[in-house]
Amino acid sequence: MSGANGLIVSADRITRVFPMPAGPVVAVRAVTLTVAPGDHIAIRGPSGCGKSTLLHMLGCVDAPSSGTLVFEGRDIATLNDRSRSLLRLRHIGFVFQRFFLLPMLTAAENVELPQAEAGVPARERRRRSIELLEYVGLGARADHRPSQLSGGEMQRVAIARALANRPRLLLADEPTGELDQGTGEQVAALLDRVNTDGTALVIVTHDPALAGRAGRVLTMRDGGIEAEARQ
Amino acid sequence: MMAPLAFAWRTLVRQPARSALGVLGVAAVGALLLDMLLLSEGLVLSMRELLDRMGFDVRVTAGEALPGAGPDIANATAAAAAIAALPSVRRVTSIRSEDAELRFRDQRVDGVFLGVGADARLWTIVRGREPTAPREVVVNQYAAETLRIEPGATLTLSAYCGTEDAAPPALSFRVSGVAELPFERPGTASGATLLADLEAACGEPGAGLADFLAVTSAGDASAAAAAIAAARPDLTAFTNDQLIGRMQQGGFTYFRQISTVLATITMTFALLLITVLLTVSVNQRLGEVAALRALGFSQRRVVLDVLCESALIVGTGGALSVPIGLLLAGWLDAILKRMPGIPTQMHFFVFEPEALGIHAGLLAATALLAAAYPMRVVARLPIAATLRNEVIS
Repeated sequence: MSGANGLIVSADRITRVFPMPAGPVVAVRAVTLTVAPGDHIAIRGPSGCGKSTLLHMLGCVDAPSSGTLVFEGRDIATLNDRSRSLLRLRHIGFVFQRFFLLPMLTAAENVELPQAEAGVPARERRRRSIELLEYVGLGARADHRPSQLSGGEMQRVAIARALANRPRLLLADEPTGELDQGTGEQVAALLDRVNTDGTALVIVTHDPALAGRAGRVLTMRDGGIEAEARQ
Repeated sequence: MMAPLAFAWRTLVRQPARSALGVLGVAAVGALLLDMLLLSEGLVLSMRELLDRMGFDVRVTAGEALPGAGPDIANATAAAAAIAALPSVRRVTSIRSEDAELRFRDQRVDGVFLGVGADARLWTIVRGREPTAPREVVVNQYAAETLRIEPGATLTLSAYCGTEDAAPPALSFRVSGVAELPFERPGTASGATLLADLEAACGEPGAGLADFLAVTSAGDASAAAAAIAAARPDLTAFTNDQLIGRMQQGGFTYFRQISTVLATITMTFALLLITVLLTVSVNQRLGEVAALRALGFSQRRVVLDVLCESALIVGTGGALSVPIGLLLAGWLDAILKRMPGIPTQMHFFVFEPEALGIHAGLLAATALLAAAYPMRVVARLPIAATLRNEVIS
């Protein structure tokens, strides 16, 4: 389901201000942005420019201090915590720099987790988990714990987990930040494939090679979008 | 595997040493808690059981004091007859006890000599038979072992009857049996016979004195006590319930107070232990919790996970605490019963299902309260800030 205008996300002059003892800090300043189905967007910029904060708002884990953020036709400001959780569960996938796989679960169980939360029956979620692990090239590692996987493999499991409930939007925060160049390339290629297969992608990255794969590259500075390039 | 309880189990297994410490801590605290609960009512239940076992439901004394603690009933024979005539009364017997010295050949031991009415049998014969003829006596196991006597032996008994300086002449008694006597004290030799023989041993044949009268009602103890009070206002009649009530107001209340204080302390300790364990565990996993929340896990679900962890620690520890507590109670009971003056049949720790229910309820409340703070931590976790901090750290 998309909004009336066909967009997944529509941000209109969203701002995020953090109250600090030394005075309020504006992390994101009046950003206007849309994400349409199939988009592949990279957000670049120096550390502290507000990239992750913007990503968190687009993923509905943080709320704008001002401005309007509409996700698939719903104004986020009108949703309570439970509704936002459900929205994230069913429509948004997250990939983190530090993977955040649960160490006591196997790769397959980690992929099953969001499905279980969404109420998918056990047999179906097991089938889906194996399918996704095969999709990310780790079908043979389904019963391995994160401690038995390399960094690149853990990130691929994390991508499989993010795709578990067939989200329309995948958000990735420095997905290659903890990987070597070769492994980062593999993860980048996998994310390309996810996008090609129909999932909109927004990636926050310092990696020019990863940003270079995106259709739109937004460059941020001091909380605002300094430049947007289409490629 | 993904249900909150199973998920919590996997989380606990992830830190086996920490979880085991928590479980063992709860087991130790739970065992103490159970013992305090058993102690709080143990003496009352034990005393009640002992009173009921003797077959009397009303006791009559000369004053307001409890039976055996006040003045003797003078002319008890007439009083017993008057009470026995009441319609609400089925049976009355006089009971009197005196200090005595028991001798057999060259062995001698100080003890207690009990005299009861002809139709009363307050003891349980272990071997031998009841005293049926004059000058027959049953002795307790301690007297039998100390004097090395068995049924058929003849012992010599000197009763002091309140005047040690002028002890009456000793009398010979044939031992008809060895018995468990009511309220007998460990390490105290006891003998029991018919009241007439006790009076003879005291040198007071037909004195008609009694420590108290034991009454079996026709079915309604309260009605019998009221009828006795009306018929003999000079005497005081106690039902078993009233006796227990008086004892609870007296010395028994100390045990309840002590057990309440100790139970509160142990509960507080358990609460702090589990709260610290869970809080440390949650604080180490804040990034994971924030990631789960970002993936769409509800606030309710992550809170429930913490509650389930608490329930598993307290539940497992609580289950272990029951056998440990019962073993400990038996050991402590044996220690406390070594105090002088405690009847053999009395127990400080008495198991009752209700105590187990209260134990489970208190532990459940502990689990809930202990989880309250870490649940609050995960419930109010700022997802974005936590994810950001995790990357920075």
